[in-house]
Amino acid sequence: MNKTLWKREWRAHYKVLLIFGAVLSLYSVMIICMFDPKLGESLKVMMESMPQIFSAFGMASPGITLLDFVINYLYGFLLVVFPVVFIIILVNRLMIRYTDRGIFAYLLATPNSRTKLTFTLAGVLCQMVLILVVYVTLLTIAAAAVLFPGELEIGKFLLVNAGLLGLLFFLSGVCFLFSCVFSESGKAMGFGAGACILFILVQMLSQVGEKFDKLKYFTPLTLFQPEKIAAGNRAAVWMLLILYGTGFLLFGVGIRIFSKKDLSI
Amino acid sequence: MKNRIEVEKITKDYGRGRGVFDVSFSVGEGEVFGFLGPNGAGKTTTIRQLMGFIRADKGSACIDGMDCFEKRADIQRHLGYLPGEIAFMEEMSGDEFLKFMAQMKEIKDLSRMNQLKECFELDGRGKIRRMSKGTKQKIGIICALMQSPEILLLDEPTSGLDPLMQNRFIDILLEEKKKGTTIFLSSHIFEEVERTCDRTAFIRSGELVSVSRMKDIQKSRKRIFEITFQKEEEKAEYLKKHKDAAPKRENVEISISRGMDEFIKELAGYEIADVRMRMQTLEEMFLHFYGGEDDE
Repeated sequence: MNKTLWKREWRAHYKVLLIFGAVLSLYSVMIICMFDPKLGESLKVMMESMPQIFSAFGMASPGITLLDFVINYLYGFLLVVFPVVFIIILVNRLMIRYTDRGIFAYLLATPNSRTKLTFTLAGVLCQMVLILVVYVTLLTIAAAAVLFPGELEIGKFLLVNAGLLGLLFFLSGVCFLFSCVFSESGKAMGFGAGACILFILVQMLSQVGEKFDKLKYFTPLTLFQPEKIAAGNRAAVWMLLILYGTGFLLFGVGIRIFSKKDLSI
Repeated sequence: MKNRIEVEKITKDYGRGRGVFDVSFSVGEGEVFGFLGPNGAGKTTTIRQLMGFIRADKGSACIDGMDCFEKRADIQRHLGYLPGEIAFMEEMSGDEFLKFMAQMKEIKDLSRMNQLKECFELDGRGKIRRMSKGTKQKIGIICALMQSPEILLLDEPTSGLDPLMQNRFIDILLEEKKKGTTIFLSSHIFEEVERTCDRTAFIRSGELVSVSRMKDIQKSRKRIFEITFQKEEEKAEYLKKHKDAAPKRENVEISISRGMDEFIKELAGYEIADVRMRMQTLEEMFLHFYGGEDDE
Protein backbone atom coordinates (compact mmCIF):
# COMPACT_ATOMS: atom_id res chain seq x y z
CA MET A 1 0.00 0.00 0.00
CA ASN A 2 1.13 3.50 -0.77
CA LYS A 3 -0.01 5.72 2.08
CA THR A 4 0.00 8.97 0.10
CA LEU A 5 -2.16 7.56 -2.66
CA TRP A 6 -4.40 5.83 -0.14
CA LYS A 7 -5.05 9.10 1.68
CA ARG A 8 -5.73 10.97 -1.55
CA GLU A 9 -8.20 8.39 -2.79
CA TRP A 10 -10.08 8.36 0.47
CA ARG A 11 -10.32 12.13 0.43
CA ALA A 12 -11.48 12.12 -3.18
CA HIS A 13 -14.19 9.46 -2.86
CA TYR A 14 -15.46 9.41 0.72
CA LYS A 15 -18.48 11.46 -0.37
CA VAL A 16 -19.72 8.58 -2.51
CA LEU A 17 -19.57 6.39 0.58
CA LEU A 18 -21.55 8.95 2.55
CA ILE A 19 -24.28 9.15 -0.09
CA PHE A 20 -24.70 5.39 -0.31
CA GLY A 21 -24.55 5.11 3.46
CA ALA A 22 -27.39 7.62 3.69
CA VAL A 23 -29.52 5.86 1.08
CA LEU A 24 -29.06 2.47 2.72
CA SER A 25 -29.78 3.94 6.16
CA LEU A 26 -33.10 5.13 4.86
CA TYR A 27 -34.04 1.72 3.48
CA SER A 28 -32.84 -0.32 6.45
CA VAL A 29 -34.62 1.80 9.01
CA MET A 30 -37.74 1.97 6.89
CA ILE A 31 -37.94 -1.79 6.49
CA ILE A 32 -37.48 -2.34 10.21
CA CYS A 33 -40.19 0.20 10.96
CA MET A 34 -42.48 -1.72 8.64
CA PHE A 35 -42.02 -4.90 10.64
CA ASP A 36 -45.13 -5.81 12.49
CA PRO A 37 -45.62 -9.34 13.74
CA LYS A 38 -49.34 -9.00 12.93
CA LEU A 39 -48.70 -7.50 9.54
CA GLY A 40 -47.26 -10.83 8.41
CA GLU A 41 -50.77 -12.10 7.80
CA SER A 42 -51.90 -9.36 5.46
CA LEU A 43 -48.62 -9.44 3.53
CA LYS A 44 -49.09 -13.14 3.12
CA VAL A 45 -52.44 -12.53 1.48
CA MET A 46 -50.89 -9.97 -0.84
CA MET A 47 -48.10 -12.33 -1.76
CA GLU A 48 -50.42 -15.17 -2.49
CA SER A 49 -52.15 -12.98 -5.02
CA MET A 50 -48.89 -12.26 -6.94
CA PRO A 51 -46.27 -14.76 -5.83
CA GLN A 52 -43.98 -14.43 -8.87
CA ILE A 53 -43.35 -10.73 -8.47
CA PHE A 54 -42.48 -11.08 -4.83
CA SER A 55 -40.16 -13.97 -5.43
CA ALA A 56 -38.43 -12.28 -8.33
CA PHE A 57 -37.21 -9.70 -5.85
CA GLY A 58 -36.16 -12.43 -3.45
CA MET A 59 -39.06 -11.85 -1.13
CA ALA A 60 -40.56 -15.32 -1.26
CA SER A 61 -41.13 -15.89 2.42
CA PRO A 62 -41.89 -12.86 4.52
CA GLY A 63 -41.35 -14.93 7.65
CA ILE A 64 -42.44 -14.42 11.16
CA THR A 65 -39.32 -13.28 12.98
CA LEU A 66 -37.65 -9.92 12.53
CA LEU A 67 -34.56 -11.65 11.13
CA ASP A 68 -36.62 -13.44 8.44
CA PHE A 69 -38.37 -10.23 7.64
CA VAL A 70 -35.15 -8.23 7.28
CA ILE A 71 -33.46 -10.93 5.22
CA ASN A 72 -36.46 -11.17 2.98
CA TYR A 73 -36.88 -7.48 2.25
CA LEU A 74 -33.29 -6.22 2.45
CA TYR A 75 -30.83 -8.99 1.69
CA GLY A 76 -32.69 -10.45 -1.24
CA PHE A 77 -32.46 -7.40 -3.44
CA LEU A 78 -31.89 -3.91 -2.03
CA LEU A 79 -28.68 -4.61 -0.17
CA VAL A 80 -27.26 -6.30 -3.23
CA VAL A 81 -28.29 -3.85 -5.92
CA PHE A 82 -27.36 -0.59 -4.19
CA PRO A 83 -23.90 -1.74 -3.14
CA VAL A 84 -23.33 -3.07 -6.67
CA VAL A 85 -24.01 0.40 -8.06
CA PHE A 86 -21.66 1.74 -5.39
CA ILE A 87 -18.96 -0.70 -6.50
CA ILE A 88 -19.38 0.16 -10.17
CA ILE A 89 -19.05 3.87 -9.44
CA LEU A 90 -15.98 3.34 -7.28
CA VAL A 91 -14.18 1.10 -9.77
CA ASN A 92 -14.85 3.72 -12.40
CA ARG A 93 -13.43 6.49 -10.25
CA LEU A 94 -10.51 4.53 -8.85
CA MET A 95 -9.31 2.59 -11.86
CA ILE A 96 -11.03 3.27 -15.16
CA ARG A 97 -10.80 7.05 -15.11
CA TYR A 98 -7.11 6.95 -14.28
CA THR A 99 -6.15 4.73 -17.18
CA ASP A 100 -8.56 6.34 -19.58
CA ARG A 101 -7.47 9.92 -18.93
CA GLY A 102 -3.84 9.03 -18.63
CA ILE A 103 -3.48 10.14 -15.01
CA PHE A 104 -1.68 6.87 -14.44
CA ALA A 105 1.21 8.42 -16.37
CA TYR A 106 1.86 10.59 -13.32
CA LEU A 107 1.46 7.77 -10.83
CA LEU A 108 3.90 5.70 -12.85
CA ALA A 109 6.38 8.58 -12.93
CA THR A 110 7.04 7.83 -9.27
CA PRO A 111 9.17 5.05 -7.78
CA ASN A 112 6.16 2.83 -7.07
CA SER A 113 5.52 -0.49 -8.73
CA ARG A 114 2.29 -1.00 -10.63
CA THR A 115 1.42 -3.80 -8.23
CA LYS A 116 1.73 -1.47 -5.26
CA LEU A 117 -0.36 1.23 -6.91
CA THR A 118 -3.19 -1.07 -8.02
CA PHE A 119 -3.11 -2.89 -4.70
CA THR A 120 -3.64 0.45 -2.98
CA LEU A 121 -6.57 1.32 -5.26
CA ALA A 122 -8.12 -2.13 -4.78
CA GLY A 123 -7.59 -1.69 -1.05
CA VAL A 124 -9.52 1.57 -0.99
CA LEU A 125 -12.38 -0.12 -2.88
CA CYS A 126 -12.54 -3.07 -0.47
CA GLN A 127 -12.29 -0.86 2.59
CA MET A 128 -15.16 1.31 1.43
CA VAL A 129 -17.34 -1.72 0.74
CA LEU A 130 -16.42 -3.15 4.12
CA ILE A 131 -17.29 0.08 5.89
CA LEU A 132 -20.61 0.31 4.06
CA VAL A 133 -21.59 -3.21 5.14
CA VAL A 134 -20.40 -2.75 8.72
CA TYR A 135 -22.28 0.52 8.95
CA VAL A 136 -25.55 -0.93 7.65
CA THR A 137 -25.18 -3.92 9.98
CA LEU A 138 -24.64 -1.76 13.05
CA LEU A 139 -27.40 0.61 12.05
CA THR A 140 -29.88 -2.23 11.56
CA ILE A 141 -28.95 -3.75 14.91
CA ALA A 142 -29.34 -0.36 16.59
CA ALA A 143 -32.68 0.35 14.91
CA ALA A 144 -33.97 -3.08 15.83
CA ALA A 145 -32.81 -2.63 19.41
CA VAL A 146 -34.71 0.63 19.69
CA LEU A 147 -37.89 -0.37 17.89
CA PHE A 148 -38.15 -4.08 18.74
CA PRO A 149 -35.82 -4.78 21.64
CA GLY A 150 -34.67 -8.37 21.82
CA GLU A 151 -36.36 -9.41 18.57
CA LEU A 152 -33.30 -9.62 16.30
CA GLU A 153 -31.08 -12.69 16.60
CA ILE A 154 -27.77 -10.85 16.47
CA GLY A 155 -25.43 -13.82 16.02
CA LYS A 156 -27.26 -15.08 12.95
CA PHE A 157 -27.70 -11.57 11.63
CA LEU A 158 -23.94 -10.95 11.79
CA LEU A 159 -23.31 -14.16 9.88
CA VAL A 160 -25.74 -13.06 7.17
CA ASN A 161 -23.81 -9.80 6.84
CA ALA A 162 -20.52 -11.63 6.62
CA GLY A 163 -22.19 -13.41 3.72
CA LEU A 164 -23.29 -10.18 2.09
CA LEU A 165 -19.75 -8.86 2.42
CA GLY A 166 -18.45 -11.99 0.70
CA LEU A 167 -20.81 -11.51 -2.21
CA LEU A 168 -19.90 -7.83 -2.58
CA PHE A 169 -16.20 -8.62 -2.31
CA PHE A 170 -16.63 -11.11 -5.13
CA LEU A 171 -18.54 -8.63 -7.31
CA SER A 172 -15.92 -5.94 -6.60
CA GLY A 173 -13.35 -8.43 -7.82
CA VAL A 174 -15.31 -8.94 -11.04
CA CYS A 175 -15.52 -5.21 -11.78
CA PHE A 176 -11.92 -4.65 -10.77
CA LEU A 177 -10.66 -7.44 -13.00
CA PHE A 178 -12.43 -6.01 -16.04
CA SER A 179 -11.02 -2.57 -15.28
CA CYS A 180 -7.54 -4.14 -15.36
CA VAL A 181 -8.08 -6.14 -18.52
CA PHE A 182 -9.51 -3.36 -20.69
CA SER A 183 -7.80 -0.04 -21.23
CA GLU A 184 -10.74 1.51 -22.99
CA SER A 185 -13.13 3.00 -20.47
CA GLY A 186 -16.25 1.95 -22.36
CA LYS A 187 -15.29 -1.70 -22.42
CA ALA A 188 -13.94 -1.78 -18.87
CA MET A 189 -17.10 -0.18 -17.56
CA GLY A 190 -19.44 -2.12 -19.85
CA PHE A 191 -18.08 -5.55 -19.02
CA GLY A 192 -17.86 -4.92 -15.28
CA ALA A 193 -21.26 -3.35 -14.86
CA GLY A 194 -22.75 -5.64 -17.51
CA ALA A 195 -21.61 -8.78 -15.69
CA CYS A 196 -23.10 -7.57 -12.40
CA ILE A 197 -26.42 -6.62 -13.97
CA LEU A 198 -26.55 -9.95 -15.79
CA PHE A 199 -25.91 -11.85 -12.55
CA ILE A 200 -28.75 -9.99 -10.87
CA LEU A 201 -31.19 -10.44 -13.76
CA VAL A 202 -30.49 -14.15 -14.03
CA GLN A 203 -31.09 -14.53 -10.33
CA MET A 204 -34.39 -12.65 -10.52
CA LEU A 205 -35.48 -14.83 -13.42
CA SER A 206 -34.48 -18.04 -11.67
CA GLN A 207 -36.71 -17.09 -8.76
CA VAL A 208 -39.95 -16.52 -10.66
CA GLY A 209 -40.91 -20.11 -11.13
CA GLU A 210 -40.05 -23.76 -11.48
CA LYS A 211 -39.46 -23.38 -15.19
CA PHE A 212 -36.42 -21.13 -14.75
CA ASP A 213 -35.20 -22.66 -11.54
CA LYS A 214 -32.16 -24.20 -13.23
CA LEU A 215 -30.91 -20.71 -14.10
CA LYS A 216 -29.73 -20.30 -10.54
CA TYR A 217 -26.68 -22.37 -11.45
CA PHE A 218 -25.64 -19.65 -13.86
CA THR A 219 -25.29 -16.77 -11.44
CA PRO A 220 -22.77 -16.44 -8.63
CA LEU A 221 -25.42 -14.64 -6.62
CA THR A 222 -26.81 -18.10 -5.78
CA LEU A 223 -23.73 -18.61 -3.61
CA PHE A 224 -25.17 -16.10 -1.17
CA GLN A 225 -28.30 -17.50 0.48
CA PRO A 226 -29.10 -15.40 3.50
CA GLU A 227 -32.07 -17.42 4.69
CA LYS A 228 -30.03 -20.63 4.67
CA ILE A 229 -27.10 -18.93 6.36
CA ALA A 230 -29.47 -17.75 9.08
CA ALA A 231 -30.87 -21.24 9.38
CA GLY A 232 -27.35 -22.51 10.03
CA ASN A 233 -27.05 -24.50 6.81
CA ARG A 234 -23.45 -25.71 6.50
CA ALA A 235 -23.43 -25.77 2.72
CA ALA A 236 -24.52 -22.11 2.65
CA VAL A 237 -21.54 -21.18 4.83
CA TRP A 238 -19.17 -23.13 2.59
CA MET A 239 -20.50 -21.29 -0.42
CA LEU A 240 -19.55 -18.05 1.28
CA LEU A 241 -15.99 -19.21 1.56
CA ILE A 242 -16.05 -19.85 -2.18
CA LEU A 243 -17.16 -16.24 -2.71
CA TYR A 244 -14.33 -14.89 -0.56
CA GLY A 245 -11.82 -17.23 -2.20
CA THR A 246 -12.75 -16.35 -5.78
CA GLY A 247 -12.90 -12.69 -4.78
CA PHE A 248 -9.27 -12.82 -3.72
CA LEU A 249 -8.37 -14.64 -6.89
CA LEU A 250 -10.11 -12.05 -9.10
CA PHE A 251 -8.28 -9.18 -7.41
CA GLY A 252 -4.98 -11.04 -7.60
CA VAL A 253 -5.37 -11.84 -11.28
CA GLY A 254 -6.47 -8.25 -12.00
CA ILE A 255 -3.42 -6.74 -10.33
CA ARG A 256 -1.15 -9.23 -12.07
CA ILE A 257 -2.63 -8.47 -15.51
CA PHE A 258 -2.38 -4.75 -14.90
CA SER A 259 1.29 -4.92 -13.97
CA LYS A 260 2.14 -6.75 -17.18
CA LYS A 261 0.04 -4.95 -19.72
CA ASP A 262 0.79 -2.14 -22.15
CA LEU A 263 -0.58 1.20 -21.05
CA SER A 264 -1.08 3.72 -23.79
CA ILE A 265 -1.07 6.74 -21.54
CA MET B 1 31.10 9.44 -21.67
CA LYS B 2 28.88 6.65 -20.46
CA ASN B 3 25.40 6.17 -21.83
CA ARG B 4 22.43 6.79 -19.56
CA ILE B 5 19.73 5.95 -22.10
CA GLU B 6 20.16 3.12 -24.54
CA VAL B 7 17.58 2.09 -27.08
CA GLU B 8 18.34 -0.81 -29.33
CA LYS B 9 16.29 -1.76 -32.34
CA ILE B 10 12.92 -1.29 -30.68
CA THR B 11 9.88 -2.10 -32.74
CA LYS B 12 6.33 -1.52 -31.60
CA ASP B 13 3.85 -2.11 -34.36
CA TYR B 14 0.34 -0.73 -33.88
CA GLY B 15 -0.69 -1.70 -37.39
CA ARG B 16 -1.53 0.55 -40.33
CA GLY B 17 2.01 1.89 -40.33
CA ARG B 18 1.70 3.36 -36.86
CA GLY B 19 4.26 2.70 -34.17
CA VAL B 20 8.05 2.68 -34.21
CA PHE B 21 10.24 0.42 -36.27
CA ASP B 22 13.79 -0.65 -35.55
CA VAL B 23 14.69 2.53 -33.66
CA SER B 24 18.12 2.72 -32.04
CA PHE B 25 19.91 5.56 -30.31
CA SER B 26 21.71 6.35 -27.12
CA VAL B 27 22.02 9.39 -24.91
CA GLY B 28 25.20 10.01 -22.97
CA GLU B 29 25.66 11.37 -19.48
CA GLY B 30 24.96 15.09 -19.41
CA GLU B 31 23.86 15.20 -23.02
CA VAL B 32 20.80 17.02 -24.27
CA PHE B 33 19.19 14.92 -26.94
CA GLY B 34 16.40 16.18 -29.17
CA PHE B 35 13.82 13.95 -30.75
CA LEU B 36 12.30 15.72 -33.66
CA GLY B 37 9.45 14.65 -35.85
CA PRO B 38 5.98 15.60 -37.07
CA ASN B 39 2.84 14.61 -35.19
CA GLY B 40 2.20 10.90 -35.17
CA ALA B 41 5.78 10.03 -36.09
CA GLY B 42 6.30 7.82 -33.06
CA LYS B 43 7.87 10.23 -30.59
CA THR B 44 5.45 9.51 -27.78
CA THR B 45 5.52 5.78 -28.51
CA THR B 46 9.28 5.86 -28.00
CA ILE B 47 8.99 7.82 -24.77
CA ARG B 48 6.32 5.44 -23.47
CA GLN B 49 8.77 2.62 -23.87
CA LEU B 50 11.43 4.58 -22.02
CA MET B 51 8.89 5.14 -19.25
CA GLY B 52 7.98 1.46 -19.09
CA PHE B 53 4.33 2.03 -20.00
CA ILE B 54 4.52 -0.28 -22.98
CA ARG B 55 6.83 -3.10 -23.94
CA ALA B 56 8.54 -3.31 -27.28
CA ASP B 57 7.64 -6.16 -29.62
CA LYS B 58 11.33 -6.44 -30.40
CA GLY B 59 14.49 -4.80 -29.15
CA SER B 60 15.34 -3.30 -25.80
CA ALA B 61 15.16 0.03 -24.03
CA CYS B 62 17.38 0.56 -21.02
CA ILE B 63 18.14 3.44 -18.68
CA ASP B 64 21.28 3.12 -16.61
CA GLY B 65 21.51 -0.46 -17.78
CA MET B 66 18.09 -1.34 -16.34
CA ASP B 67 15.23 -2.57 -18.49
CA CYS B 68 12.68 0.24 -18.80
CA PHE B 69 9.65 -1.99 -18.29
CA GLU B 70 10.85 -4.41 -15.63
CA LYS B 71 12.76 -1.89 -13.53
CA ARG B 72 10.53 1.13 -14.04
CA ALA B 73 10.02 1.83 -10.33
CA ASP B 74 13.78 1.86 -9.66
CA ILE B 75 14.54 4.01 -12.68
CA GLN B 76 11.98 6.58 -11.58
CA ARG B 77 14.05 7.46 -8.50
CA HIS B 78 16.37 9.52 -10.69
CA LEU B 79 14.06 10.48 -13.50
CA GLY B 80 11.74 13.37 -14.20
CA TYR B 81 8.99 12.91 -16.79
CA LEU B 82 6.66 15.29 -18.54
CA PRO B 83 3.83 13.54 -20.42
CA GLY B 84 2.81 14.86 -23.81
CA GLU B 85 -0.83 14.91 -22.86
CA ILE B 86 -2.01 16.95 -19.95
CA ALA B 87 -4.22 15.03 -17.57
CA PHE B 88 -4.37 15.62 -13.87
CA MET B 89 -6.58 14.82 -10.98
CA GLU B 90 -8.83 17.66 -11.91
CA GLU B 91 -10.64 18.04 -8.63
CA MET B 92 -7.41 18.93 -6.82
CA SER B 93 -5.89 22.39 -6.66
CA GLY B 94 -2.54 22.91 -8.36
CA ASP B 95 -0.71 23.14 -5.04
CA GLU B 96 -2.41 20.05 -3.68
CA PHE B 97 -1.46 18.08 -6.75
CA LEU B 98 2.17 19.20 -6.61
CA LYS B 99 2.39 18.28 -2.94
CA PHE B 100 0.76 14.95 -3.66
CA MET B 101 3.24 14.23 -6.43
CA ALA B 102 6.16 15.30 -4.23
CA GLN B 103 5.04 12.81 -1.60
CA MET B 104 4.55 10.08 -4.19
CA LYS B 105 8.09 10.73 -5.39
CA GLU B 106 9.31 10.74 -1.80
CA ILE B 107 10.75 14.23 -2.13
CA LYS B 108 11.40 15.76 1.28
CA ASP B 109 12.95 19.04 0.25
CA LEU B 110 10.33 21.22 -1.43
CA SER B 111 12.61 24.21 -2.03
CA ARG B 112 13.19 23.35 -5.70
CA MET B 113 9.44 23.04 -6.22
CA ASN B 114 8.81 26.48 -4.73
CA GLN B 115 11.66 27.96 -6.71
CA LEU B 116 10.16 26.59 -9.93
CA LYS B 117 6.71 27.84 -9.01
CA GLU B 118 8.15 31.30 -8.61
CA CYS B 119 10.10 31.07 -11.82
CA PHE B 120 7.01 30.10 -13.83
CA GLU B 121 4.83 32.52 -11.89
CA LEU B 122 2.44 29.72 -11.05
CA ASP B 123 -0.55 30.45 -8.90
CA GLY B 124 -1.56 26.97 -7.84
CA ARG B 125 -4.43 27.85 -5.57
CA GLY B 126 -7.26 27.21 -7.99
CA LYS B 127 -8.71 23.89 -9.01
CA ILE B 128 -6.82 22.30 -11.89
CA ARG B 129 -10.09 21.86 -13.79
CA ARG B 130 -10.37 25.62 -14.19
CA MET B 131 -6.80 26.18 -15.30
CA SER B 132 -5.74 27.11 -18.80
CA LYS B 133 -3.70 24.72 -20.92
CA GLY B 134 -0.54 26.74 -20.33
CA THR B 135 -0.97 26.74 -16.57
CA LYS B 136 -1.51 22.99 -16.58
CA GLN B 137 1.62 22.61 -18.65
CA LYS B 138 3.56 24.58 -16.04
CA ILE B 139 2.36 22.18 -13.35
CA GLY B 140 3.52 19.26 -15.46
CA ILE B 141 6.94 20.83 -15.98
CA ILE B 142 7.34 21.54 -12.26
CA CYS B 143 6.38 17.92 -11.53
CA ALA B 144 9.14 16.72 -13.82
CA LEU B 145 11.80 19.04 -12.47
CA MET B 146 11.03 19.29 -8.77
CA GLN B 147 13.03 16.28 -7.65
CA SER B 148 16.20 17.62 -9.35
CA PRO B 149 16.42 14.45 -11.42
CA GLU B 150 19.54 13.13 -13.11
CA ILE B 151 17.61 12.27 -16.24
CA LEU B 152 14.75 14.20 -17.80
CA LEU B 153 12.25 12.82 -20.33
CA LEU B 154 10.18 15.63 -21.77
CA ASP B 155 7.44 15.09 -24.32
CA GLU B 156 6.76 18.33 -26.22
CA PRO B 157 7.53 20.46 -23.17
CA THR B 158 6.70 23.93 -24.44
CA SER B 159 3.32 23.19 -25.97
CA GLY B 160 0.74 25.55 -24.52
CA LEU B 161 3.28 27.96 -23.06
CA ASP B 162 3.40 31.57 -24.16
CA PRO B 163 6.67 32.85 -25.71
CA LEU B 164 7.85 34.41 -22.46
CA MET B 165 7.39 31.16 -20.56
CA GLN B 166 8.92 29.19 -23.43
CA ASN B 167 12.06 31.27 -23.06
CA ARG B 168 12.06 30.83 -19.33
CA PHE B 169 11.72 27.10 -19.79
CA ILE B 170 14.65 27.03 -22.18
CA ASP B 171 16.73 28.97 -19.65
CA ILE B 172 15.89 26.36 -17.03
CA LEU B 173 16.87 23.57 -19.42
CA LEU B 174 20.20 25.27 -20.07
CA GLU B 175 20.66 25.56 -16.31
CA GLU B 176 19.96 21.85 -15.95
CA LYS B 177 22.37 21.13 -18.75
CA LYS B 178 25.08 23.01 -16.88
CA LYS B 179 24.34 20.89 -13.82
CA GLY B 180 25.01 17.81 -15.91
CA THR B 181 21.44 16.54 -16.23
CA THR B 182 20.84 14.13 -19.08
CA ILE B 183 17.91 15.42 -21.08
CA PHE B 184 15.78 13.74 -23.72
CA LEU B 185 13.23 16.02 -25.27
CA SER B 186 10.80 15.50 -28.07
CA SER B 187 9.32 18.19 -30.23
CA HIS B 188 7.81 18.95 -33.59
CA ILE B 189 9.26 22.45 -33.64
CA PHE B 190 12.85 22.85 -34.69
CA GLU B 191 13.45 26.10 -32.80
CA GLU B 192 12.52 24.38 -29.56
CA VAL B 193 15.40 21.94 -29.75
CA GLU B 194 17.77 24.25 -31.58
CA ARG B 195 18.84 26.25 -28.58
CA THR B 196 19.30 23.40 -26.16
CA CYS B 197 20.24 20.17 -27.87
CA ASP B 198 23.68 18.73 -28.50
CA ARG B 199 22.37 16.08 -30.83
CA THR B 200 19.06 15.55 -32.52
CA ALA B 201 17.35 12.51 -33.91
CA PHE B 202 14.85 12.90 -36.72
CA ILE B 203 11.98 10.47 -36.77
CA ARG B 204 9.33 10.07 -39.41
CA SER B 205 6.65 7.42 -39.87
CA GLY B 206 8.13 5.50 -36.97
CA GLU B 207 11.60 5.28 -38.44
CA LEU B 208 14.71 7.08 -37.37
CA VAL B 209 15.93 9.11 -40.33
CA SER B 210 19.13 10.43 -38.88
CA VAL B 211 20.93 11.38 -35.71
CA SER B 212 23.00 14.50 -36.17
CA ARG B 213 24.95 16.94 -34.10
CA MET B 214 23.14 20.22 -33.69
CA LYS B 215 26.08 22.24 -34.99
CA ASP B 216 26.07 20.30 -38.26
CA ILE B 217 22.34 20.68 -38.65
CA GLN B 218 22.49 24.41 -38.08
CA LYS B 219 25.19 24.71 -40.71
CA SER B 220 23.31 22.72 -43.28
CA ARG B 221 19.96 24.31 -42.55
CA LYS B 222 19.15 26.51 -45.48
CA ARG B 223 17.66 29.94 -45.57
CA ILE B 224 14.91 30.34 -48.07
CA PHE B 225 14.42 33.71 -49.74
CA GLU B 226 11.29 34.80 -51.45
CA ILE B 227 11.95 37.64 -53.87
CA THR B 228 9.40 39.91 -55.50
CA PHE B 229 10.71 41.54 -58.67
CA GLN B 230 9.45 44.89 -59.96
CA LYS B 231 9.72 43.87 -63.58
CA GLU B 232 8.46 40.67 -65.11
CA GLU B 233 11.38 40.40 -67.56
CA GLU B 234 13.93 40.70 -64.75
CA LYS B 235 12.18 37.89 -62.96
CA ALA B 236 12.41 35.70 -66.03
CA GLU B 237 16.06 36.60 -66.43
CA TYR B 238 16.83 35.69 -62.84
CA LEU B 239 15.03 32.39 -63.16
CA LYS B 240 17.00 31.60 -66.27
CA LYS B 241 20.30 32.36 -64.55
CA HIS B 242 19.55 30.33 -61.44
CA LYS B 243 18.42 26.80 -62.07
CA ASP B 244 17.72 26.19 -58.35
CA ALA B 245 15.34 29.13 -58.12
CA ALA B 246 11.66 28.34 -58.50
CA PRO B 247 8.67 30.52 -59.23
CA LYS B 248 6.23 30.65 -56.38
CA ARG B 249 3.02 32.50 -57.09
CA GLU B 250 4.21 35.84 -58.53
CA ASN B 251 7.51 35.58 -56.63
CA VAL B 252 10.71 33.59 -56.86
CA GLU B 253 11.95 31.27 -54.17
CA ILE B 254 15.57 30.30 -53.73
CA SER B 255 17.40 28.56 -50.92
CA ILE B 256 20.82 29.75 -49.91
CA SER B 257 23.16 28.02 -47.53
CA ARG B 258 26.52 29.47 -48.50
CA GLY B 259 27.54 32.47 -50.59
CA MET B 260 25.30 34.99 -48.88
CA ASP B 261 27.47 37.93 -49.90
CA GLU B 262 27.38 37.00 -53.53
CA PHE B 263 23.62 36.53 -53.42
CA ILE B 264 22.97 39.97 -51.92
CA LYS B 265 25.30 41.71 -54.31
CA GLU B 266 23.72 40.11 -57.29
CA LEU B 267 20.24 41.08 -56.19
CA ALA B 268 21.38 44.69 -55.94
CA GLY B 269 21.51 44.77 -59.72
CA TYR B 270 17.76 44.16 -60.02
CA GLU B 271 14.79 46.25 -59.17
CA ILE B 272 13.40 44.55 -56.11
CA ALA B 273 10.01 45.16 -54.53
CA ASP B 274 10.39 42.86 -51.55
CA VAL B 275 12.62 40.18 -50.06
CA ARG B 276 11.51 37.86 -47.33
CA MET B 277 13.54 35.21 -45.61
CA ARG B 278 12.50 32.14 -43.67
CA MET B 279 14.32 29.12 -42.33
CA GLN B 280 13.88 25.76 -43.90
CA THR B 281 10.94 23.99 -42.28
CA LEU B 282 11.16 20.66 -40.55
CA GLU B 283 9.53 18.91 -43.50
CA GLU B 284 11.99 20.45 -45.92
CA MET B 285 14.82 19.29 -43.74
CA PHE B 286 13.40 15.79 -43.83
CA LEU B 287 13.50 15.91 -47.59
CA HIS B 288 17.12 16.86 -47.25
CA PHE B 289 17.83 13.82 -45.09
CA TYR B 290 15.98 11.61 -47.50
CA GLY B 291 18.29 12.87 -50.20
CA GLY B 292 15.68 15.03 -51.87
CA GLU B 293 13.15 12.36 -52.72
CA ASP B 294 9.65 12.83 -51.54
CA ASP B 295 7.97 9.58 -50.70
CA GLU B 296 4.67 10.96 -49.61
